[in-house]
Amino acid sequence: MTDLTVRIGRLTLKNPVLTASGTFGYGPEYADYVDLNRLGGLITKTITLEPRGGNPMPRIAEMPAGMLNSIGLANVGVERYLAEKLPLLEKYETAVIANLAGSTVEEYARVVMKVQKHPRVDGIEVNVSCPNVRKGGLAFGTDPDVLCELVRSVRSETDKTVIVKLSPNVTDIRPVAMAAASGGADALSLINTVMGMGIDIRTRKPLISRITAGLSGPAIKPIAMAKVYEAAQAVDLPLIGIGGIMNGEDAVEFLMAGASAVQVGTLNFVDPAGCLKVLEGIETFCREQGIAKVSDLVGAMDHG
Amino acid sequence: MYSEQCPIDEQRSITESVFLLSFTSRAIARTGRPGQFLHIRVRTGIDPLLRRPLSIHRIDPQTGQISLLFRVVGRGTRLLKDMRPGDPLDVMGPLGRGFDLSGNFSRALIVAGGMGGAPVFFLIDALLSLGKQVTLLWGVGDGREIFGTDEYVRKGVDVRVATEDGSLGHRGYVTELLDVFLKTHAQDQSFRGFVCGPECMLLPVQRFARKTVFSWQASLEERMACGVGVCQGCGVRIRNQAEYRMVCKDGPVFDLKEILFHD
Ligand SMILES: Cc1cc2nc3c(=O)[nH]c(=O)nc-3n(C[C@H](O)[C@H](O)[C@H](O)COP(=O)(O)OP(=O)(O)OC[C@H]3O[C@@H](n4cnc5c(N)ncnc54)[C@H](O)[C@@H]3O)c2cc1C
Ligand SMILES: Cc1cc2nc3c(=O)[nH]c(=O)nc-3n(C[C@H](O)[C@H](O)[C@H](O)COP(=O)(O)O)c2cc1C
Ligand code: FES
Repeated sequence: MTDLTVRIGRLTLKNPVLTASGTFGYGPEYADYVDLNRLGGLITKTITLEPRGGNPMPRIAEMPAGMLNSIGLANVGVERYLAEKLPLLEKYETAVIANLAGSTVEEYARVVMKVQKHPRVDGIEVNVSCPNVRKGGLAFGTDPDVLCELVRSVRSETDKTVIVKLSPNVTDIRPVAMAAASGGADALSLINTVMGMGIDIRTRKPLISRITAGLSGPAIKPIAMAKVYEAAQAVDLPLIGIGGIMNGEDAVEFLMAGASAVQVGTLNFVDPAGCLKVLEGIETFCREQGIAKVSDLVGAMDHG
Repeated sequence: MYSEQCPIDEQRSITESVFLLSFTSRAIARTGRPGQFLHIRVRTGIDPLLRRPLSIHRIDPQTGQISLLFRVVGRGTRLLKDMRPGDPLDVMGPLGRGFDLSGNFSRALIVAGGMGGAPVFFLIDALLSLGKQVTLLWGVGDGREIFGTDEYVRKGVDVRVATEDGSLGHRGYVTELLDVFLKTHAQDQSFRGFVCGPECMLLPVQRFARKTVFSWQASLEERMACGVGVCQGCGVRIRNQAEYRMVCKDGPVFDLKEILFHD
């Protein structure tokens, strides 16, 4: 039997497979298809201080081996999250990580303050790919100084594990990863969606109402792999690899590039039990290869 | 809700672009309701990636056989048409909330346009078993797409067909049949209206519906990823509701008079 446990900051997860924010609802939505107790962790949809309806339709479109989305952080807001959503997760034994966002540093801090007290919240994932209104539309995740300040302020609000989720839409991920580390992050997760777009040439309309959107799915896996690898070279923090994972072998690839755990996103839409198949695939690989601890795979790429 | 591999029993072409596919699933046959849909993975690989939503066309409760009626419009439906008996079909469902057949009405008026005919057969089966009197107004472009109506005529359904090519029934649009029908029935409280079809047909039907005294239910189509209310991708605006409703989970059937198209 392979030891599947992994450490992410102050948390020990029972295995390295988590579900990615925005692709698994608030948790129970897929409980008919997936035994949630078997997940390493569950990351809930990004929540904000106030409820958000999201962007106009259409806000999704299929792409070759992927999809575009511009949901616009539609969510119930922090109060309903605490009162209605988290209690539904009480009966499950899996780590619950609350993903959150804000439009100012203060707003992030306020959401963290409210959420982190809840006993069902085991960790926080900070989504830094939404527009920073204060800095004129720049994403928090692309400016190292702003990011460092943000992470510092989140850090000061909680003793729970703080994971910072990075955007790939930067020329170099290393300074951003280092900024999150120096701000006090316990771990980094990467990547969020890659900026993309498409046009219906017959109607001449953009496929997504907001025109540009986020690409996810297998199409982005090579990009995500490179970002994980680069971040692993730059910081000494546990990384959670995300992007196009469809099976256990994809997940092992991320571990070998330097990730300690992985998140499964778009696959949930395609196969609602897919996250467990990813886990089973990792187990099979370890068994076949005689690997005692899944953590032995982290950064295990042979540089030759 | 189930996610399972179901063996395909039969694949039949109605025209060169419209197909009738059937497979067996006892679980779906037991729980499926008219207006609900199935989310089909047409290929196990990564491209095309997403599932395709298709209405339940009909269920045979005796054999557990489910059928789908679909038009080939793109890559996913083309792959589906190429599947053969014996191939496993990856099906999730039944999903969504179907038609509400409860409450007080004795007569059903169904308006179907094009592939909107797909969910209608199952709806009629259910209405007949509830002892309702049914009128079907079905419009298509190509008259060869009208099929299976003889059985319903025999069962007492009042079937009226409109074809744009004039090959069958009234030459023109189904809304013209509706206009005529409502001249005598718009004020009849014993009716309930049901409508399935593309948005370009739902819009004029909504204008007619708002002038009738009875209630109407419409089945909507939106691009979908998850099909279960998770991704928030398939929203529709409903009058007096601040938030988007999700077609996959809150629908696909909504109160026609309350739908806000183009919003
Ligand atoms: C609840 C529901 C029930 C449906 N029932 C039927 C049915 O019984 N018979 C039938 O022929 N069609 C039905 N449709 C439409 C059917 O889903 C699309 O025709 C099909 O997804 C097209 O896939 P494609 O790969 O061939 O086309 P493509 O254009 O290549 O598809 C590209 C993407 O757009 C999506 N898409 C394209 N057209 C539609 C559409 N009209 N509605 C929703 N998504 C679309 C696809 O799912 C895919 O993600 C239904 C749609 C919905 C939402
Ligand atoms: C429909 C959709 C909604 C998403 N919503 C969020 C979100 O609310 N917060 C967030 O941090 N990431 C969100 N993501 C990004 C995913 O968590 C993940 O980082 C990304 O999709 C890449 O992984 P994948 O290729 O496995 O999907 C969303 C992705 C999709 C497809
Ligand atoms: S398709 Fe995902 S919410 Fe409807």
